[in-house]
Amino acid sequence: MQEKKDATFSYQFPDGDRRLAFSRQSSFRHWDPPLPSPSPSPSPSPSPLLRSHSFKPYLARSDSTVGMPLLEKPGQKDATWVALILAAVRGVANGSRPMKRLALMISLNVAYSMIELLLGLFTGRVGLVSDAFHLTFGCGILTFSLFAMGISRKKPDETYTYGYKRLEVLAAFTNALFLLFLSFSLAVEALHAFMQDESEHKHYLIVSAVTNLLVNLLGVWFFRSYARVNIVYWKPEDMNYHSVCLHVLADSIRSAGLILASWFLTLGVENAEVLCLGIVSVAVFMLVLPLFKATGSILLQIAPSNIHPSAFNKCSRQIASLEEVLEVSQERFWELVPGYSIGSLSVLVKKGVHEDRILQHVNGLYNDLGIQDLTVQIDYK
Amino acid sequence: MERHNSPASASHSQVIEVNIDIDRDASSFPPISNPSPTSNNKACRGGTCDLSYSKDSPERWDSMRKLVIAVVLCIVFMTVEVIGGIKANSLAILTDAAHLLSDVAAFMISLFSLWAAGWEANPRQSYGFFRIEILGALVSIQMIWLLAGILVYEAIVRLIHDNGEVKGFLMFAVSAFGLVVNIIMALLLGHDHGHGHGHGHGHGHDHGHGHEHTHDHGHNHEHEHMHSHGHEHQHEDQDHEANTIPTKHQHDHSHSNDMKESLIKKGNKKPKRNINVHSAYLHVLGDSIQSVGVMVGGAVIWYKPEWKIIDLICTLIFSVIVLLTTIKMLRNILEVLMESTPREIDTTQLEKGLCAMNGVVAIHELHIWAITVGKVLLSCHVIIAPDADADRVLDEVLGYIRRDFNISHATIQIERH
Repeated sequence: MQEKKDATFSYQFPDGDRRLAFSRQSSFRHWDPPLPSPSPSPSPSPSPLLRSHSFKPYLARSDSTVGMPLLEKPGQKDATWVALILAAVRGVANGSRPMKRLALMISLNVAYSMIELLLGLFTGRVGLVSDAFHLTFGCGILTFSLFAMGISRKKPDETYTYGYKRLEVLAAFTNALFLLFLSFSLAVEALHAFMQDESEHKHYLIVSAVTNLLVNLLGVWFFRSYARVNIVYWKPEDMNYHSVCLHVLADSIRSAGLILASWFLTLGVENAEVLCLGIVSVAVFMLVLPLFKATGSILLQIAPSNIHPSAFNKCSRQIASLEEVLEVSQERFWELVPGYSIGSLSVLVKKGVHEDRILQHVNGLYNDLGIQDLTVQIDYK
Repeated sequence: MERHNSPASASHSQVIEVNIDIDRDASSFPPISNPSPTSNNKACRGGTCDLSYSKDSPERWDSMRKLVIAVVLCIVFMTVEVIGGIKANSLAILTDAAHLLSDVAAFMISLFSLWAAGWEANPRQSYGFFRIEILGALVSIQMIWLLAGILVYEAIVRLIHDNGEVKGFLMFAVSAFGLVVNIIMALLLGHDHGHGHGHGHGHGHDHGHGHEHTHDHGHNHEHEHMHSHGHEHQHEDQDHEANTIPTKHQHDHSHSNDMKESLIKKGNKKPKRNINVHSAYLHVLGDSIQSVGVMVGGAVIWYKPEWKIIDLICTLIFSVIVLLTTIKMLRNILEVLMESTPREIDTTQLEKGLCAMNGVVAIHELHIWAITVGKVLLSCHVIIAPDADADRVLDEVLGYIRRDFNISHATIQIERH
């Protein structure tokens, strides 16, 4: 397989921070007129997928991703477990700060759940075992988030032409899904407690709940800047961090609820367990819903949410108002990750019109909106 | 859309479509950007620009009907079990009823995804609603994993509470009943598309043997036609000979022969099984495997109540088996959601073919991705020679992509060097 140059697009804002998007910025500072091609016939020696710098694509994307040491290249796949684990450890050690914190939290949780499981098995306490299982599931999901963080820095390759950043969105979605399941299962537990109406004082569970609460509060502290329900996502990592924060927040709410319930029980309040569990379930559900909707809408390829639909209409009207353009159709836009939008449209022009000008104009318009990657198909009447 | 009604028929049309089709589905696109009927818009030639199932697609109604029948059956069985469990005051039966409830939930998710895929595309959701299928399948599979975990947890609880509460015989009987129910539903869900139109012939010999067989065949088959196209038919014929049940396969054999003659080139066959039905099928399959595991554990406890640990080991093994069955589908889902190049498209061949065309100098920014399994889109920038006719090159490129790779939605940006 020939070595291909790295893809020249980045997920950073190529022309500066678009958060100040009201100022129209010139989109074509990087446009260099291409050199005439030396060999008109496509000979096999130049790579057919020319990503070299002999010409620049219309939307020049400077490769400004931070070059951090990556995980192992997919070329030599060392399938031995030891090598994989070593690579993972190295990836985390070289990773960003949130990654390290997440890794720390996961290891704490894993250690804790192992202890709980063994204790529960040996002493025969079912409550401990079920708690351990729940923790392990949560740890699994968090590990997936960690993995997504690590692998998302890889450059795009043949199969994953858009890169690996989507995985972060997917990890956030999985987290949100898990939390929804959690809220549902808490509701079922509340129902169960309501019907069974036995308030067993599981004292040993208090200790476990307190420890769980402490560990999760540590996690919330690590990701405290994301401890909100509604966040505007600027980068894909935002979604991942937000989902992790919500995860630990929900866990800590659950532990707090359990502690509260058992305290109320000792106070003699009837149905305390039902009440607390119900409140916790509703709270977790409300927490998670915005994240679930946001990640879901990206995965479903809904049009970018940070761009108002009227802006799209305005753009297409502006293009249609050019005198060479007959009509604009099939505009489709979607978000790859928060902060990077992709689109394609089809433009019908009169015969004999040179396409360069149209392409420039269209690309400029949409680039100002925030669509970084646009494919324009020009049809001639 | 009066012309090609079902998306499945698009795969029939392996002929080179030269007709300039101006028939457009007005409701698929926002009114402001609908090309006028007199325009010569190449983008949607051949009427295959359906980004939503047309309302009377037979494949869709088939799948929906199957799922509805499965849901109804499930609910009936579940009520039977709940009543029996309350009367016999047995937790095991109620747990099994809860598992059937999870089956119902999985079917509901699949039904909803199927129904939602028929919604018309709108400017906000410009690619239609097919992705909902994928997300629904993801949710289903997460539920399968969750249930496997719950079952292992129950086995551990059974191990801990070993004070004779657990009646081995009851476990065995309940899970046997559950197994029968699940097998009925698996047959119902899997026993489809085989007698459908030509496109279903891939299925024909998938199902119809025993339970585990169908699964293996299904997997091999998908594997086969994910890769190169040419020698697929030979594979199928060999599979046909190997099958022993005569009646069903005469039917399917004739189908496969038809397909073989009607294919002109090394056309791509799309993987056929509807992903919603497939995920529901996986769910039922997982449940039946677990029922088998619980049956084995129940039988062991019944015969030798002191070998309780075998129950846990059995459950663990069977849970792992269930998880393994979901891996393949999970991988497909992951690839679609990551917008990666679908496995059935040979990128290097595409690039070579494109570059070998007249007037094409180079291509770059080639992105091929799928909305759902089987619906592929492409976008690419093509650099042409300064003197080439952009219109003609565009036609050729689009035609090539449509013909050889069956990608109906391609957006090509022609740039002049």
